[in-house]
Amino acid sequence: MNRAHVSVQGITKRFGPTVAVDGVSLDVEEGSFTTLLGPSGCGKTTLLRMVAGFHHPDQGDIFLRGIRVTDIPAHRRNTAMVFQEYALFPHMTVGENVGYGLRLRRVSADEATRRVGQVMELVGLAGQQRKFPHHLSGGQQQRVALARALVVEPEVLLLDEPLSNLDAKLRIRVRSEIRQLQQQLGKTTLYVTHDQEEALAISDRIAVMNRGRILQLGTPLQIYHHPVNRFVADFVGLANFLEGEVSAPGQVRMEGVSLTVPDGALPGRRVTVVLRPEAIRLHARPPEGVANVLRGYVTAASFLGTLARYWVDAAGRHWIVDVPSPGEALMTGEVFLEIPRDRIHLLTET
Amino acid sequence: MARPLLESGHRVVVMPMAVARWGEIRRQTADPGLLLTFLGTAAALGLFVLYPAFRVLVYPSLRDYLAIPESLRWIQAARNSLMMMVLSTISATVVGLVFAFATTRPDLPGRRMFRGLAMLPLFAPPFMVAFAYILMFGRQGLITRSLLGLQANIFGWHGLWLVQTIAFFPLAMLIIAGVLDAVNPSLEHAARNLGADEWTVLRSISLALARPGIAGAMLVVAISVLADFGNAVIIAGGFPLLATEAWFRMEGMGDLKGAALVVAMLLIPTVALFFLERYWVSRRVYTVVTGRGSRIERPSTPPVLKWGAVAICSLVSLLVLLVYFGVIAGAFTAVWGRDWSLTLEHWRLAADRIASLWSSVKIGALAGVITGTVSVVVAFLTSRHLPFRGVLDFLAVLPGALPGVFVGVGYVLAFNATPIGGTVWVLAAALAFWHLPMGYQAASARLKQIERSIEEAAVNLGATGLQVLRDVYLPLLVRALVEAFAVSFIRAVTNVSIVIFLIAPGQVVATFVILNMIQNNIWGAGAALTTMLLLLTFASIGVTWIAVGRTVRSPGMG
Ligand SMILES: Nc1ncnc2c1ncn2[C@@H]1O[C@H](COP(=O)(O)OP(=O)(O)O)[C@@H](O)[C@H]1O
Ligand SMILES: [Mg+2]
Repeated sequence: MNRAHVSVQGITKRFGPTVAVDGVSLDVEEGSFTTLLGPSGCGKTTLLRMVAGFHHPDQGDIFLRGIRVTDIPAHRRNTAMVFQEYALFPHMTVGENVGYGLRLRRVSADEATRRVGQVMELVGLAGQQRKFPHHLSGGQQQRVALARALVVEPEVLLLDEPLSNLDAKLRIRVRSEIRQLQQQLGKTTLYVTHDQEEALAISDRIAVMNRGRILQLGTPLQIYHHPVNRFVADFVGLANFLEGEVSAPGQVRMEGVSLTVPDGALPGRRVTVVLRPEAIRLHARPPEGVANVLRGYVTAASFLGTLARYWVDAAGRHWIVDVPSPGEALMTGEVFLEIPRDRIHLLTET
Repeated sequence: MARPLLESGHRVVVMPMAVARWGEIRRQTADPGLLLTFLGTAAALGLFVLYPAFRVLVYPSLRDYLAIPESLRWIQAARNSLMMMVLSTISATVVGLVFAFATTRPDLPGRRMFRGLAMLPLFAPPFMVAFAYILMFGRQGLITRSLLGLQANIFGWHGLWLVQTIAFFPLAMLIIAGVLDAVNPSLEHAARNLGADEWTVLRSISLALARPGIAGAMLVVAISVLADFGNAVIIAGGFPLLATEAWFRMEGMGDLKGAALVVAMLLIPTVALFFLERYWVSRRVYTVVTGRGSRIERPSTPPVLKWGAVAICSLVSLLVLLVYFGVIAGAFTAVWGRDWSLTLEHWRLAADRIASLWSSVKIGALAGVITGTVSVVVAFLTSRHLPFRGVLDFLAVLPGALPGVFVGVGYVLAFNATPIGGTVWVLAAALAFWHLPMGYQAASARLKQIERSIEEAAVNLGATGLQVLRDVYLPLLVRALVEAFAVSFIRAVTNVSIVIFLIAPGQVVATFVILNMIQNNIWGAGAALTTMLLLLTFASIGVTWIAVGRTVRSPGMG
């Protein structure tokens, strides 16, 4: 048996004809922050809810510290969850909400008050116990939900798209707060989101899901720079895709161009070249002494503050190129694309 | 460190449904408290809903059933009941439709007042319209004899027709107005925009969309007319009807079998209408209502339509007011029809029977508590993923299909021979379970508004099924509970159709006393006691209103 804190082994869950989760296995290490990332409907919530015990898998097993919990009902698993819509009890004060789990565990009133106070301080809501949830802002309600989950000292913390009801600015602030708190407490965390940027920003590891399966598991850097297939590359960040054939070691030929690429793929293989927009350099004049230069024309440009995004036609294709810290003016007309060899990622399956 | 990528699972063996279902049952039994509650509730519903009905149906033998066509009187009663159903349903629905139309038009003068007045018959004891109209339009009638000098006879089918129209049009109004309210005014504007005049808009849009509502209203009114006992027993005179025939069989001849046969005959149309309404019409109404009503004002109503509606509503409102006026005036008039001087004499007589009012309150409170509790518990259970929850739901709405006299005869047959036979408990249980559908449906609707994740949050923190009920649902359902209690209480203290079968010696209730007084022409005291009942009803409504306002402390809930 492995030493993972949470281990999901080969689980499948069907709802009628829909296969929501399709034979997924996943190990979450103690103290790690693991994110389930994927498009809406891919089965993230279902997987998370099976860990919490709200759904029973049709197949496969779930282990907590190596102990099989598949048949243990939800109320006897110590897997506290933060719900997307917070699910605060509307008839209880904030303090009663946070203390509810302690009440069920028959913690004495004094002790409970103390622990509730502590955790409220931790989430930055000290002294707000007597208010009702509807007196609080969305961000504050979110923190109450987090406090309510943390106060029972759960084995694992489960969060299902906890930030989706917050506005963009707040989302970024709260996500870093969640991450800091998680690291401070060393709490094993399973986090669900469909927002790739959010996943990249806060995770130790990301499991990219699609159609009920995990396609890739890895650190944010691995996922971003070395996606295992086109879906992952496309879902996480933007990418230019070019299909071609390996003509010689380190060479990929495609319609109209030939690119020098990292070694690896055998000659004759069909490959997909994955190029992140910011990996391409854009020059007004042809750069000297470098490989992989293409001549093109800017068809559209968009100023995004920290970067400028260009749509360029070159070698009979459309390219997306991001140029960081654009100056006072955007480029127009003829440009030259430089594609650094070491920034190219190859997919051998198409 | 990383596990192999693309780790897809083993292919699945298709698990038969039955196995999945048993798995579900096994998991639910991991929560024994919930399971026991489920079994206990199912047993209670079986005993108090299904068993009495079953007893009625099997009490007569097959031969008795086959002999029904040979009994002229029963055929006559059945024919009369159907005739009244058709007449009163049509008239009550038409009046209800006019009121619904009038009260959903913003430019109609007095629309709020009309809606308010039209609600009044809903709060009156179920015999009060008939009683008041005897005082107003009968042989000694204030209007017919004293004012117009006519020799009118209100007893019989035409009197009953008038009474049932006034008693039941409010039901039709509420149902149709609900649908009309939901018709998005922008649909009407769209039609107008396409060149339709007001008449065409009314015909092709508003009424067309309200059609399922009208159908639903007709079915609900038809059930009420068929089951109407209180008015019929007072005003139908020698006109035999199924609902009253059951009572005459039992009271007059001690013919329990005959009573069972008659109520069984009555059950067929009411059950059919009920299920038609519940599983067909109400679903179609729902699909019409889904459009989001934006707050565009309706345009002005054509004058002919407007003043026509005002005229009809005024006339009917006057008839409604006479119901209350007649009874209250009767309570203070020395000798109705002869001596119009004011007196408090009747109140002294009524005060002598005040004990019956306390019995009513006691039994009503008992029934209210049972209805409230069972409503909330059943609503909670049917919201679980428990096997056979559909059965529970069915049993909880079924009493809505049963006429009061059917329930009365059923409880006599089911419980008279048991140790609790003849006690207030039987009467309270009969009233409580008869009113269950209203409380249950209100609680269910409320429960559906509570987000599922609220419960899951509690379970996630360690709450068992019963702790979820106690900590989450009960507090959030207090309002539904109080309302269920109030409705059941009010209906129990004003009930006659069940009470007359189950009245226990020494536990005589107010409605029973009133009925006797009216039938023995002791109108003044009967009117005084009825007025007390009215005071009690409106006081309960007021108290409930205040209580509900207090208990709901979380406006944040959906
Ligand atoms: N309780 C349920 N009943 C039926 N289908 C469900 C249920 N929950 C989820 N599904 C289906 O399972 C699939 C995965 O859903 P979900 O896990 O909620 O996806 P995600 O959280 O990734 O958006 C979807 O097709 C969804 O419609
Ligand atoms: Mg989801």
